[in-house]
Amino acid sequence: MKRREFLKTSALGTLAMSIPLSRWQVFAEENSLPHAAFVTNGDPEPLVQHAMQALGGMERFIQKGDKVLLKPNIGWDRTPELAANTNPEVVAALTTLCFAAGASEVKVLDRTCNEPQRCYRNSGIADAAEARGAEIVQVRNNRYTDMPLNGKVLKSWPIYRDYLEADKVINIPIAKHHGMAKVTLGLKNLMGVMGGRRGSLHVNFAQKMADITQHIMPTLTVIDAYRMLMANGPSGGNPDDVRLVRALIASPCTVSADVVGLELFGHPLADIEQIKVAVERGLALYDTEHLNVARIDLT
Amino acid sequence: MKISLSMQNLRKLVQIAFFFLFIILFLNARYPYEVSIESDFGLRLSPLIPVFTFIETLSIPPLVIPGLIILLLTPFLGRFFCSWICPLGTCLDATDHLIKTPRNKHAQLWEKWRFLKFANLLALLVLALFSVNLWGYLDPLSIFNRMLTVILYPLATLFTEKSLLVLAEVPFLETPAYYLFDLFKDNIMPEGQAHYQQVLLIAVFSGAILAGEKLSRRFWCRYVCPAGALLGFMSQSRFYERLVGEECPACNMCVSECKMDAIPGDNVSKTNKVECIECFNCGAACPPKTKAITYRWRWKPYHTELDMSRRQILAGMLGSVAGFGLLSLGLPNRNHERQMIRPPGSLAEAEFQDKCIRCLECVRICESNGGCLQPDAIHSSMTQLWLPAAQMRAGYCEYNCNLCTEVCPTDAIQPISLEEKQNWVMGQAYFREDLCIPFARDEDCIVCEEHCPTPDKAIKFEMKTALLPSGESRELMMPYVVPELCIGCGICEFKCPLIGKAGVFVTKAPDETSEMTYYS
Repeated sequence: MKRREFLKTSALGTLAMSIPLSRWQVFAEENSLPHAAFVTNGDPEPLVQHAMQALGGMERFIQKGDKVLLKPNIGWDRTPELAANTNPEVVAALTTLCFAAGASEVKVLDRTCNEPQRCYRNSGIADAAEARGAEIVQVRNNRYTDMPLNGKVLKSWPIYRDYLEADKVINIPIAKHHGMAKVTLGLKNLMGVMGGRRGSLHVNFAQKMADITQHIMPTLTVIDAYRMLMANGPSGGNPDDVRLVRALIASPCTVSADVVGLELFGHPLADIEQIKVAVERGLALYDTEHLNVARIDLT
Repeated sequence: MKISLSMQNLRKLVQIAFFFLFIILFLNARYPYEVSIESDFGLRLSPLIPVFTFIETLSIPPLVIPGLIILLLTPFLGRFFCSWICPLGTCLDATDHLIKTPRNKHAQLWEKWRFLKFANLLALLVLALFSVNLWGYLDPLSIFNRMLTVILYPLATLFTEKSLLVLAEVPFLETPAYYLFDLFKDNIMPEGQAHYQQVLLIAVFSGAILAGEKLSRRFWCRYVCPAGALLGFMSQSRFYERLVGEECPACNMCVSECKMDAIPGDNVSKTNKVECIECFNCGAACPPKTKAITYRWRWKPYHTELDMSRRQILAGMLGSVAGFGLLSLGLPNRNHERQMIRPPGSLAEAEFQDKCIRCLECVRICESNGGCLQPDAIHSSMTQLWLPAAQMRAGYCEYNCNLCTEVCPTDAIQPISLEEKQNWVMGQAYFREDLCIPFARDEDCIVCEEHCPTPDKAIKFEMKTALLPSGESRELMMPYVVPELCIGCGICEFKCPLIGKAGVFVTKAPDETSEMTYYS
């Protein structure tokens, strides 16, 4: 062993020893933990609990005293049975887990498409989350911050301030059909914290979404597929278009969650421009072609 | 003595209570509208509603009952409505305190105009016989609600919201200011700031009524108000009388304190029953030493003549007939016909214009939802002014909302169930291919299709391969409307991301049977 090499090795060794043992365990755990959890055949609350357990528990994501923001889809003035909004029980279950992990506050908000009060109320989300102690936030026009993006298409875009100020963010989309985007999952759900004239994002949609979402990736994405809207999305309204799937996907990586979510629809990744572009632009935390997915069947 | 004093205070108490009732009814007129007293109840207290509804329909529907009760009490109690209930009157009294209103002595030159209110009423009655219903413009409750909806509430909320937000900029005030702001938003104004068209005209109209106080006290009630005229007509021989005792030194304190100048200076023992609004100021003004004024029921009441000559009656009627002619002489502009989109549940246009009193209660409740209803402008006929009209670029009709149909005091908008509303065709959407992004720019958009609320979407799209100038080809989603599914809710026009004119717009639903179709 040459002197230079010895110095190098011993320096590395000292460095390694200076990291406490517990951290090593975390690294080891994180390497063995799945990239995503795909739970099937359960009711909303058990679906959430098992998915989070598979990912190493909520404590892995939420530390004591964290201010947590939940971003479900509350976009439409529709009841839960019509599957246009996230299932209220999923939001409620996550609220409980956040508080159990030590969250100091849990806020719930979405910039709706229909009249906000109607959406918050008729989606059942406001009542369900409030019952578990979450704070329901009414979106106010003056609380957007212009975020510099320096993206391929967009230079900046307004993002809701509460979202940016939260310590941890849980993105809770519902898996459903969407006329233009074909499907709406985790990435598309982040539109709910974007201000401005959102309709204009539809032109060159995939690139614009990547421009914005790369800066606002959530801590965790939980895709609710308890009920899925299979046609006439995203607003729906016809019970015949709703399918009871009783599934849920969770992942620390939004893009990976979406890639797994495509299985629910049977779409190949190549068909879904927005997710494909996100993968191409390196927005995924994991290699989306070799995802380690924990598949749990609750039957 | 004690009674007369408390009568004035009792009147003030009732007056303030009714004023707040009207304010609360107004504030309650918003989503979710789960109320114990329906907001249209207040507006239905108008004594004009029973009369004009009867002329229009030759029937007495239940909606006129509150107004009818006022009318039936009037021969006994006189114009008590004007000073005890009418919120516009309360606004006028409040204005008295703000601007110095001249004393009765100095305002006497106006007295010869007392006939004007009768001429107004008569004109409106004659017009109503011709089925031109313009009385809503002058209905005091309608004026009050219009002023509240379009001027006072938006102004109050604007200043409250803006000042709290400015305070929130001050570092140490941020928390309390946002606390107050949220409190205000949650309890007073959950909806966004209201913005209306016709603000200026309505402000001038209501401002002029309030400014009348500069000419005399209760100028509007003395000389203009058709409801006051009707109630005055009915209380010519009212049974409740003011008696003046022998001990009266004719100090004329009551004459100068009278809101309506209803006590003749040369004979204080008489009351002009047509003008008196039972405010009981006279009793309170009577000097404590004398207290000569008492109030009592008399079964053989004296009678007061209307201040109106035969010539004035004739002139009033002629004026209204000429007005009727003028109103139908304007050139109808067919381009604007498409904009006259009325709320769901509305009667056919001609009938709607006859029934609607332009109180804008539907516009108010719409603000808490889709926010499409606006006071209409004059397009072709003057009678279109301030009718509710859906402006889809400003807001859209919420698919799950039928609240505007629940608050109409005259049922010009019929109460319809949510299911009926969801199938009610207000209008029809059309694409403008010179603007719509996929057509005009060869780019994807489809925001309209995304928002279309009918369970089977009325806006669908088909795939088209567009050849770009670069030589590349692109798969495009081209939107189109399925007319059988479209209910004209206008969310497509509202959400269209284009600046300015939308690439899709809603026109009034075809209304072939309506008499308003000028062209055939």
